[in-house]
Amino acid sequence: MKLRILAPLMLGLSFAAAASFAAPAMVGQPAPMFSATDPSGKLVSLADFKGKTVVLEWVNPECPYVRKHYDSANMQATQKAATAKDVVWLSVNSTHPSHFDHKKPAEMAAWTKAQRAAPTATLLDGDGKIGRSYGARTTPHMYVVDAKGTLVYAGGIDDKPSANPADVKSAKNLVNAALADVLAGRAVAQPVTRAYGCSVKYADS
Amino acid sequence: MPKLPRLVLTLAAIAMPWSAQTAAASATVSTEQVRAELLAHAPEGVAPGKPVWLGLQIEHQPHWHTYWKNPGDSGLPTTLTWQLPAGVTAGEIAWPTPKQLPVGPLMNYGYEGKLLLPVPVSVSPSFSGNALDIKLTAQWLVCKDVCIPQQGEFALSIPTQASTVMNAAAFAAAQAALPQPAAGAQARAELVDDAKALRVTVSGLPAAMQGRELAFFAETAGVVEHAARVTARWDGGSWQARVPISSQRFESPAQMQAVLVAPGMAAGTQVGFAIAGSWPALVAPGGDTVAAAVAAAPAAPTPPPMGLALALAFAVVGGMLLNLMPCVFPILSLKLLGFAGHAHSRRALLAGGLAYSAGVVLSFVALAALLLVLRAGGEQIGWGFQLQSPGFIAALAVLFTLIALNLAGLFEFGTLLPSGIASMRLRHPLADSALTGVLAVAVASPCTAPFMGAALGLAFTLPPLQALSLFAALGVGMALPFLAASAWPGLAAAMPAPGAWMATFKTAMAFPMLATVVWLAWVLGQQTDIDGVAALLAVLVALAFALWAWGRIDSSRFARAAWSTLGVLLLGVTLAWALPSWREAHATVSPPAADARWQPWSASRVAALNADGRAVFVDFTAAWCVTCQVNKRTTLGNASVLADLEAGRVALLRADWTRRDAAISAELARLGRNGVPVYALYKPGQALPTLLPELLSPQVLRDALAAP
Repeated sequence: MKLRILAPLMLGLSFAAAASFAAPAMVGQPAPMFSATDPSGKLVSLADFKGKTVVLEWVNPECPYVRKHYDSANMQATQKAATAKDVVWLSVNSTHPSHFDHKKPAEMAAWTKAQRAAPTATLLDGDGKIGRSYGARTTPHMYVVDAKGTLVYAGGIDDKPSANPADVKSAKNLVNAALADVLAGRAVAQPVTRAYGCSVKYADS
Repeated sequence: MPKLPRLVLTLAAIAMPWSAQTAAASATVSTEQVRAELLAHAPEGVAPGKPVWLGLQIEHQPHWHTYWKNPGDSGLPTTLTWQLPAGVTAGEIAWPTPKQLPVGPLMNYGYEGKLLLPVPVSVSPSFSGNALDIKLTAQWLVCKDVCIPQQGEFALSIPTQASTVMNAAAFAAAQAALPQPAAGAQARAELVDDAKALRVTVSGLPAAMQGRELAFFAETAGVVEHAARVTARWDGGSWQARVPISSQRFESPAQMQAVLVAPGMAAGTQVGFAIAGSWPALVAPGGDTVAAAVAAAPAAPTPPPMGLALALAFAVVGGMLLNLMPCVFPILSLKLLGFAGHAHSRRALLAGGLAYSAGVVLSFVALAALLLVLRAGGEQIGWGFQLQSPGFIAALAVLFTLIALNLAGLFEFGTLLPSGIASMRLRHPLADSALTGVLAVAVASPCTAPFMGAALGLAFTLPPLQALSLFAALGVGMALPFLAASAWPGLAAAMPAPGAWMATFKTAMAFPMLATVVWLAWVLGQQTDIDGVAALLAVLVALAFALWAWGRIDSSRFARAAWSTLGVLLLGVTLAWALPSWREAHATVSPPAADARWQPWSASRVAALNADGRAVFVDFTAAWCVTCQVNKRTTLGNASVLADLEAGRVALLRADWTRRDAAISAELARLGRNGVPVYALYKPGQALPTLLPELLSPQVLRDALAAP
């Protein structure tokens, strides 16, 4: 009973705390809320997935490091493994429309399809609001939000910062590891790691 | 998977993204972005104890860059993998002093132009031979707007007995650009602000650096917030800097190395320091430390942990000041009307005052409860949130039209409402007073008086019970003047005696109500478009028609029913048409065009302008906030004020909160506020802006500008 009363309180508190750090999200703190449209124009909100574990993946199809993980099918495999366990996977493209890496909604949808990628949804964040609120710096940059809405992982897809697709085999997939911990109800062993890749193509100012 | 296909796959994958030619290894590899060459420097030949250097020289095409050992927010350092004969070993890269390479809101460290990455080579006595054969595999990431990972295979052979000095100049230049350990320099560092920053103190720096502005490059990745501004000052001969820690730090080093660079210096100075204080866990624990973190967060202008009693006092004062806010004006007229109506009985007056107070307090508590519930639901909204929803604005417009038409005498509540509620309103002045109180709160909510901001900021760090009591205190404050006037008839007696003037007064009061409707329609126009406003006006006309039909007491029962049915039908049709146009606009609507002087706000823009040494004045505003509009007309539009701002090179940014905006909500929260207006002056080198009062005057603004 006591927990029941406490839960909204904690949520309220933690929300206020999250909001008070204008600067990027912190692991262990509530994940910043957001809404954005998918390529079909449908509005998707983090709030839609309350009670579920959510993975956020920063993506830019033109970035070689993103290609490293898609051409090697590593990202797709990670997506499928996650969504098979009822984890929500949101791929976020924060490339500003002024940058030539920017993809129109239809192009983004076509790319996702061509890659046989399996995100729950692809989100278009051309103004970079979501990216900035999470402090996403690179593509890929990975985040995990647990069922309570707490950010529990921020960092790289794996622990071998290179562009060499061959390294995927020998690298430790840090998202899989974080999800295993979260789904088992454990604290994430490596909650913050180095994200590597291209810079997120935000607007210049 | 069989072995062979996997190998083929891997090879194909490697070949694809890398444009470097890897076929025949030579000393040079050229791509469209760089020309890379393996160089050697062995002035005394290759032998034990003799200086032998190898190096990769990278000539970047203009605007392309590669990265330092700590690449910053993105990018990767260049890696060199050597294949050397037995007895010869290559050391680590001696990284030349890097440059800051900002990309949008991010910061990278790296090199442009011509670069040599030298590597010292040690030769053991076991090595023999006439030539030293060197093979190198280098991987680098070269970026401009896009990033291209490249790889090159290099081969070079140098004689062991002769001197190799063709590239002596290049190696000398690299040596000159190498950060130098400062002889005699003392550095120490400690964690401050809850490990949100590192305070670094360096004394004994070379004379050439003394008193100058120094750039700070952390050699250790994953600790500091690269893009954040390092604030520093000179205290005598010692350089004291505050280096913000990354919110997504992934290292907790006990010692760090950094390179300090003065403008124009080829080589920086390397300093190492131990870090005093203990790193918190990488994961910021939730729960109880959250409140502490909030309290410690640079929030309210008052010192952080504001006691509950003080907060309650602030809330009461803030509530009282609400009565003075321009947005409470229309409702004041209603209150006045109530006063005149009850002036005959002191007892009734006091009861009315108490009922009004109860209405105000309950509304505040209800609003707070709603806000807490919504917050728990994760809605990114703040105080005044109701007015960010077009539907709510439309509903308010309908309500005010209803009141106006009633005051104007188009219909009587007695005829409109079924007996129960109507007589309650007529016969129970207490309920009427309470209702007036509720209405007063609804209208006042967007205008947060000066003290309310800080109190609200704290309210959300408290358990619900305390937060609710804080809001109740706000309500008490707001009701207090009215309550006082009802308790001391001296004040109430100053009211004119009831008479025929009251009817006139009542009708006249319809016009401020209608003026409020005009304001609401304008706000709705800001949130939606001209269609939304037209739809609202159509609904209001249909509403007026329906009320008029209903209010025709003189006609027969049948005629009245027919008219009323027609009215309700009309209202239904217009509503069906109007409702979709009041949907909340999300990303589709572009923000209203800012006038030339004012640029749209973003946190990174503030940081960028501050980094340029410019002060930034931010007007957090919303169309529905009347106080904001008043300040805009009286102060922010004032020609002499604008001239002063221009003279001080103050950049003007406007954060428009008319619609929901997560970034603005977050920044307001960081400033310890939950509503607008907020006026903030961000000065370079100051982590937190100066907050100005919510009722601006030219003098207040000038004083803030003049302050150091």
